Amino acid sequence: MAGVASGEAACNSARQTGGVTDALAAELSAAMAPDRVRSGPLELTLYRRDASLLEGQPGVVCFPSTTDEVQAAVTIARRHGRAVVPRGSGTGLAGGAVPVGVDGAEPVVIVTTKMDRVLEIDADARVAWVQPGVLNLDLSRQVAHLGLHFAPDPSSQQSCSVGGNVANNSGGPHCLAYGVTSAHVLALEVVLPDGSLALLGDLDPEPPGYDLRGAFVGSEGTMGIAVRIAVRLSPDPPAVRTVLVDFASIETAASTVTGIIAAGLVPAALEMMDARITSAVEDYVHAGFPRDAAAVLLVELDGLPAGVEAATQIVADVAAANGARGVRVAADEAERALLWKGRKSAFGAIARIAPDYYLHDTVVPRTRLVEVLSEVYEIAARHRLLVVNVFHAGDGNLHPLLVFDRREPGVMARVLAAGTDMIAACVAVGGVLSGEHGIGLEKRDHMGLIFSDDDLDAQRRLRLAFDPEQACNPHKVLPSGSGCGDLQSVPAGAWI
Amino acid sequence: MRLAVADEDLSACVSCGLCLPHCPTYRVTGEESASPRGRIAAMRATHATDAPAGPEFAEFMDLCVQCRGCEVACPSSVPFGRLMEGARATLARETAYQPRRRRMGYAVLGHHRLLLLASSAAAVLQRLHLVPARLGLPRLPLRRPRLRPGDTAGPGGRPIGTAGPGGRPIGTAGPGGRPIGTAGPGGRPIGTAGVGGRPPEPDAWLFTGCVMDAWMRPTHAAALRVMHATGARVALPGPGGDCCGALHVHAGLRRQAEALARRVMASMPGDAHVVVDSAGCGAALKDYGALLGTAEARRFSDRVLDVHEWLAARAGRLPAARRRLTGPVAVQDPCHLRHVQQAHQHVRTVLAPYADLVELGDDGLCCGAGGAYAGIHPAMAQEIRARKVAAIAATGAPVVASANPGCIVHLAGAGLDVRHPVDIIAWSLDGG
Ligand SMILES: Cc1cc2nc3c(=O)[nH]c(=O)nc-3n(C[C@H](O)[C@H](O)[C@H](O)COP(=O)(O)OP(=O)(O)OC[C@H]3O[C@@H](n4cnc5c(N)ncnc54)[C@H](O)[C@@H]3O)c2cc1C
Ligand code: SF4
Ligand code: SF4
Repeated sequence: MAGVASGEAACNSARQTGGVTDALAAELSAAMAPDRVRSGPLELTLYRRDASLLEGQPGVVCFPSTTDEVQAAVTIARRHGRAVVPRGSGTGLAGGAVPVGVDGAEPVVIVTTKMDRVLEIDADARVAWVQPGVLNLDLSRQVAHLGLHFAPDPSSQQSCSVGGNVANNSGGPHCLAYGVTSAHVLALEVVLPDGSLALLGDLDPEPPGYDLRGAFVGSEGTMGIAVRIAVRLSPDPPAVRTVLVDFASIETAASTVTGIIAAGLVPAALEMMDARITSAVEDYVHAGFPRDAAAVLLVELDGLPAGVEAATQIVADVAAANGARGVRVAADEAERALLWKGRKSAFGAIARIAPDYYLHDTVVPRTRLVEVLSEVYEIAARHRLLVVNVFHAGDGNLHPLLVFDRREPGVMARVLAAGTDMIAACVAVGGVLSGEHGIGLEKRDHMGLIFSDDDLDAQRRLRLAFDPEQACNPHKVLPSGSGCGDLQSVPAGAWI
Repeated sequence: MRLAVADEDLSACVSCGLCLPHCPTYRVTGEESASPRGRIAAMRATHATDAPAGPEFAEFMDLCVQCRGCEVACPSSVPFGRLMEGARATLARETAYQPRRRRMGYAVLGHHRLLLLASSAAAVLQRLHLVPARLGLPRLPLRRPRLRPGDTAGPGGRPIGTAGPGGRPIGTAGPGGRPIGTAGPGGRPIGTAGVGGRPPEPDAWLFTGCVMDAWMRPTHAAALRVMHATGARVALPGPGGDCCGALHVHAGLRRQAEALARRVMASMPGDAHVVVDSAGCGAALKDYGALLGTAEARRFSDRVLDVHEWLAARAGRLPAARRRLTGPVAVQDPCHLRHVQQAHQHVRTVLAPYADLVELGDDGLCCGAGGAYAGIHPAMAQEIRARKVAAIAATGAPVVASANPGCIVHLAGAGLDVRHPVDIIAWSLDGG
């Protein structure tokens, strides 16, 4: 194939991999194996983004397979004045794994996908030690024969890594009853930004001293790289019922959500999808979602069989009282799985509507849901954009998605403006910025909306305690510069 | 370099990554460049510039097995198969992507007599231990049974060509009758006027293909045996009906594929179903409508059915088992049956009365065979296969059923007892 590449491409590659990067790549290659260090121009392109819209530029991408190799990669990158960017499966929606360097030097991306082993399972203690690249669903499958599972179940669970879940403190439909990732992580072994190794937390539920494990969970790769994770495994519930409720209006769906919680139930999951997303999903899964519904709720109840039956009845009653058009209880495991497959493919099915999406992840008080939702639709209309809503209704975690085609001139500016308006609307009713997807690059400049300068400063100092040189996933989470209140655009070197 | 792909297809990917775990090469490597999402991103980057594609691009494209597991996993229905075929067609046309050696290999597939000869010659060399094991070839047959629809007719099955005056059973015409596709003196394809008139239209054609006919003809005989058991009259294709062109499409050699497609269509005229016992060939035949873009090709594709699909619609007519395998049979779904034709459930419908079936717990992940793939990327194919072997071992089943010759050969290479479902059924019908 030599001779196929043009002079121009060759010259490009010289620019991107030349100079310091060559020496850097050579040292990294010596520390792991040459075929696990990449700097080809096209390959680097593939690591410019995650599942968000933002793009950065890596200098080198490497795939360590052991803790030692992660330590070596961090040390070598630092010696060359490069930042490091941890990356799991790259399904993050806030740009957390988008590579942005410091001082114009492109960062080293450290990918954990080759560290994908479940190291140890203790079925009696219900604990497993795993490597960070283990996929969330693979972990649950590997312990299924023990009647156990890993409770956090992001909709991306088939693809996302446990390391990514830890870094983003990810949630999922079933976190309403069981809590997000931080409730399921006991201890972590992490490579700190200086290359040293530290154990945070331990298997004792009440370890003495500061809860550094708790500080690390949700740190989005800014405090180091998790290389070994002790996760709590949860027993499978004895009985499960999944109910699909169909509504003629968003308002009746939202008041049903409030009604279910007010009735004293804590469903395992309580999810809402609006009309557009319901029909897009139905096109894909053919699960019998009503295409003409204005909104549907997916409610899951679990526990002992008698309690589950009673709770199912309460849900049906509350729904009927609120004017639901229909209630369908999944007849068997296959039907239940299909309904969930529909819900969990929602973001992916967006391209059936338009090729790009820009997603927000705000949490608002459940009582203000109806109000905020109608405002979200209004904001989109005002910016001449289409918005669809699919979200964890039970805990008020909204996921308004603006869908568009970025090839349309001027559309990006309208999308960003609408996004900012939506966040402001959520914050105005007492909401917060991110329920589960993280702040990353995308939301960090909105941090000033909910945190005071003092709050931000405290967070910055915590981060500096772990990463004094701000070389681990720089520019993420915390707004840069001192004036945190002013909305800056994304940092130089990254673009939408 | 502009790729022969539709912009709409390329922009349909939202980079969500939900396809990643369904991709065999991503499962092995964990690398974007070996994932559907990364391959699409590489196509986008290449498509967006005028610069010729570099070696990196060809490498990323070439490592794809074209199993299309990503396509069914994608909630946005990105037509990945179409994108990959388009990218490879561009590479084959404008770069040295398919070297001469490989092109010649693909060309031989369309010359059936040459292929049979080459296969027999290789079989002799194999017996003499002159074929290196690293080539990963299965044990090739020294001889092949003649396919005679008449001979294998079960009760009620009337061989085609014996009904009309002067009609001849295909492939057995006259002394020195030859297997189909080698039309020697006196051998006449069905549908062309034989001496004394046209034989009647068959109930179905059985497509025999190139490599499968050379290596696994007994499976065709079993398919005929089982099809006849339903009472149907089955015919074999006339000349030219001996290579579907699937491997050529996958390699980006579209012109060759189109020529082969036209030949195949001409070899099985009429309205009868075209029944295929190789999942890969079946998927290709079903895609002729898209490949050639003509109404005639679309009509032809509409006639094509996988053999299990055809049998499932006639399951009531199949006799009961006269003997059964003792242990369970693990059903391995060939990608081109499950992801492309989405006809894999029919295998279970048809096979269940004859064996105790067990499922694999791997979501239908590819086995790594991929047509010519296992020969071109043996190391990757074997790493992919190791996962399939583990999934099969987890079931404890001693026998594996697989409806595609490529998968059968590839998995047998790992020491498994792999059989085509129609071989199991025919064995069961024949009794002991
Ligand atoms: C279709 C779809 C649905 C989704 N649904 C949900 C949902 O329901 N709930 C939810 O919470 N999220 C959801 N997400 C977002 C995303 O999947 C999660 O945030 C997930 O946890 C990210 O995991 P990942 O392995 O892909 O991480 P990446 O995207 O690779 O990285 C995410 C962040 O973690 C850091 N990181 C990764 N690995 C490590 C490590 N070992 N040590 C330190 N830092 C690390 C990265 O630097 C980055 O900041 C969804 C995404 C998609 C595309
Ligand atoms: S191909 Fe489909 S599933 Fe894969 S990343 Fe693109 S949109 Fe998502
Ligand atoms: S066709 Fe198969 S190997 Fe190729 S990208 Fe899709 S899933 Fe991966």
